[in-house]
Amino acid sequence: MSGSNAWSRSREKMRLFPELFAQCAGEGATYGKCVAATSTGRQELKKDMCAKEFEALKTCFTNAAKKKAK
Amino acid sequence: MSSGVCRRVLQSAGSPPAASAGSWSWSWSMSSCCRHRPGLRSEPRRGLSASGRGTMNVFNREMKKRQKNWAASLQDGHQYDYLRNEVGSRVADRVYDIARTFPLALDIGGGKSHIAEHLSKVQYKYFILRLPCISKGSADFVERLFLTDVSENSLKRRRASEIPTHGVLADEEFLPFKENTFDLVVSSLSLHWINDLPGALRQIHQVLKPDGVFIGAMVGGETLYELRCSLQLAETEREGGFSPHVSPYTAVTDLGNLLGQAGFTMLTVDIDEVQVHYPGITEVMADLQGMGESNCAWNRRAMLHRDTILAAAAIYKEMYASEDGSIPATFDILYMIGWKPHESQARPARRGSANVSFGDLSKISQPTDTNKS
Repeated sequence: MSGSNAWSRSREKMRLFPELFAQCAGEGATYGKCVAATSTGRQELKKDMCAKEFEALKTCFTNAAKKKAK
Repeated sequence: MSSGVCRRVLQSAGSPPAASAGSWSWSWSMSSCCRHRPGLRSEPRRGLSASGRGTMNVFNREMKKRQKNWAASLQDGHQYDYLRNEVGSRVADRVYDIARTFPLALDIGGGKSHIAEHLSKVQYKYFILRLPCISKGSADFVERLFLTDVSENSLKRRRASEIPTHGVLADEEFLPFKENTFDLVVSSLSLHWINDLPGALRQIHQVLKPDGVFIGAMVGGETLYELRCSLQLAETEREGGFSPHVSPYTAVTDLGNLLGQAGFTMLTVDIDEVQVHYPGITEVMADLQGMGESNCAWNRRAMLHRDTILAAAAIYKEMYASEDGSIPATFDILYMIGWKPHESQARPARRGSANVSFGDLSKISQPTDTNKS
């Protein structure tokens, strides 16, 4: 399969992942702490328990991606 | 022994199980391979299928072959070889600990042959140490090596070594060799993709000569637990459930039982923890892919949601990162040594044949006692 296809395009996008993720270290740490707290606490981890922190992480990530694309 | 020619070994057509996300599926599969290789095996495979015990079919071997072929054909594939080289050198060390020459050796699932190059290198080191007392010319520990793998590309791109090597395209679960052929069987980091591990160990036992030795290294125990936990937590939080992304591994405690059931004696099992540090989760996954270690279980999920990858990256970094910001990935390597029984091997003494008493133990250090020790 030559030329660009879905797999080669998504691989290209994934190559940018570490750089973009590094710009959102703070939000990532907050989200990670929220999830880690639930795993050690008494409640079990459920869906969207840390949704707020994840939204912050995701917006930071998408903004970084937009800035990179410009 | 006629296996100098490359023979294609057909794999058994396991019926694909009904896969449901998040649950283990078992299927009974009968091995249909004996039809295709008449005369090579001295006993038919009745024993395995007639007992009624089906084999586990966890991994898609066809997919694993494709993944290994892809990994071997990468232009810069050698950058992913660090783990296999390290484990290969440790297995070669264990071969050298045995003071014997092995005329014929087999490397199962050897891929690009990571063990053989260490066998020839260490040979020179030992030769120099023995310089004052050379009795024979050159001490070849392994004289001839057969290398099997499911992936043709890996065999084609195997690394050069001074030991004459023959490549055989064969599945680890269906070895095309006669009984009592090999003095030494080694295996490095390929047993963890075998569906029927007890059966494979039994076959290894069969192709060994009596007083032959099997030295193996496989990933097991708590390998990649950081990756597994990060993905599990991320998927639970983001999607409400999780499916297995890291394949199931053998525990070190089970390994002794498995080897004993296959008929090996004088077992030695030990575990080595190798930690490799990576910048981030994507590098971990990319390296695993480049090594040919991508998931090929039947019940694997076809995709990883981008939100889940982002969440898993954050969780991995937060929960497991070290001070310099890199994240560790643990590989628990289980090393096993097993011998095929032979009369010359030491056995436990007969009951009642003792001629010293444990009560005399306290008298050993006293110099006046000059009796039998």
